[in-house]
Amino acid sequence: MADMVQILVLGLALGGVYALMGSGLSLVFGVMRIVNLAHPSLVMVGAYIAYWAFRLGGVDPMITLPVALVILAATGVLLYKLVFEREARSAKYSEMTVLLTFALAMVVEGALGAAFTNTQRVTSPDYATDAFFIGSVFIPKGQLYSGIVSLTIISALALFLKYSAFGNAIRATTQNRDAAELLGVNVNLVGLVSFAIGIGLAGAAGALVSFVFSFFPAKHWEWIAILMSLVVLGGMGSILGTVLAAFILSVIAAYVGFFFGATWSTLTFFVALFVVLLVRPQGLFGEKPELA
Amino acid sequence: MSALLQVSNVVAGYGDGPAILNGASVKVEPGKVHCIIGPNGAGKSTLLKAIVGMLRVREGDVTFKGESVKGLRPDQILRKGISFVPQERALFPKMTVRENLRMGGYSMRDKAELERRIDEIEERFPILKERRDQHAGTLSGGQQQTLSMARTMILKPEIVMLDEPSLGLAPKIVAEIFDIMRVMTDEGITILLVEQNALMGLKHADWGVVLDLGRTLFEGPGKEILNDPRIQELYLGGKKAA
Repeated sequence: MADMVQILVLGLALGGVYALMGSGLSLVFGVMRIVNLAHPSLVMVGAYIAYWAFRLGGVDPMITLPVALVILAATGVLLYKLVFEREARSAKYSEMTVLLTFALAMVVEGALGAAFTNTQRVTSPDYATDAFFIGSVFIPKGQLYSGIVSLTIISALALFLKYSAFGNAIRATTQNRDAAELLGVNVNLVGLVSFAIGIGLAGAAGALVSFVFSFFPAKHWEWIAILMSLVVLGGMGSILGTVLAAFILSVIAAYVGFFFGATWSTLTFFVALFVVLLVRPQGLFGEKPELA
Repeated sequence: MSALLQVSNVVAGYGDGPAILNGASVKVEPGKVHCIIGPNGAGKSTLLKAIVGMLRVREGDVTFKGESVKGLRPDQILRKGISFVPQERALFPKMTVRENLRMGGYSMRDKAELERRIDEIEERFPILKERRDQHAGTLSGGQQQTLSMARTMILKPEIVMLDEPSLGLAPKIVAEIFDIMRVMTDEGITILLVEQNALMGLKHADWGVVLDLGRTLFEGPGKEILNDPRIQELYLGGKKAA
């Protein structure tokens, strides 16, 4: 029984970081209909920023987090202006953006590999290897902190989307782009800001990831599959859905890991992806796909 | 009387495709309900989209209060005082009724004034007040149409253009929709609507415009057009069928 509780705690503790990674991906998809395959490679950039800040300057990843967020958000603005804005008028927008983001992921991976080699890295602030104990159940401090920070950032995002005028414009654009434009929303600016926020969140998640997982440039391929399963289970474009999916799947993955071994744990996400697409393609909170 | 909105010999189409409108002209006079009718493919919806700037006007001109508004973007047209409710009703299904109303005033600077306007609208349409915290997507078709129309009133526009507001609604609800149009004209709003259901549209309209193959065939008071023999031939297949 204690084991079962322990696994639940470990699963929940990881859910937060996945949720943060997934919510940036979901936001960008919702507003711009871009399946950003480069999202986790940009998470990786955030992780390297946090890693080097810690290694060279002894800076705690929690302090680097806002810096990584801003650097990646600025990168997002550049990418949007240079690449995606132009594609918005293309008739083959969906196909093009998939190819473009795929290419971007390759470029980022290659650049990181060239700069920092393919060595496994992990940032190791004191709390990353420490834990709290409640009875016999232990909670790794690093995972707990990363979960709390993730949920705080996601909550701030949710409040911004729900209560600010611009946040409402973002939601409106996600739900009905033409209607938003007819009401005077500058949908191009909404796209730019959403993209910047989404990529900024990738940077923030990277800082957390840097001490939760060991990483190397090519690891983003494993994450994109995990993140896609979260976004699909949550319902494409639904941030709340993505967050719930992150917790549900990381808990299931933790149990699978316990009963069947760690190798099978990651498989949980892929199986979930298939099952959701077969049984409930719209996910938890997505809209039913139109058959017309 | 001078026209509030004048569409003169407009040629327009989608993208680089063929012209759908081939010289359409419409004169919109203040305070009245105007109804554009015509068979499928006549260019009725296209005309509204061209006026609002969603489609480029290739030839001809659109003037509002004597000033050309050709080539303006939809948000600029909106600021001039012309609101458009497209066929799909243009709601945000996962935002609440009140949030939808608030989006109607997105272009307003004065947010306190916006909240006051929303309160006024809610007083006028009690159903929207009752459902204010409900997602727009959960409303019935008639309620959604009411919300779409009420939302345009937030900005106190001079002209509201409606693309087939009766589409998919039961006859009793359609009557309510036309009642809302009267509420709007009482407020001094001019209506330009497109109707597939010609009889229904003309019965409620002050002025009818008949469009076919992208051209204006003729126009006149709604009730006269209803009895015009040309209409019977062109559109109603020779007999008055609803």
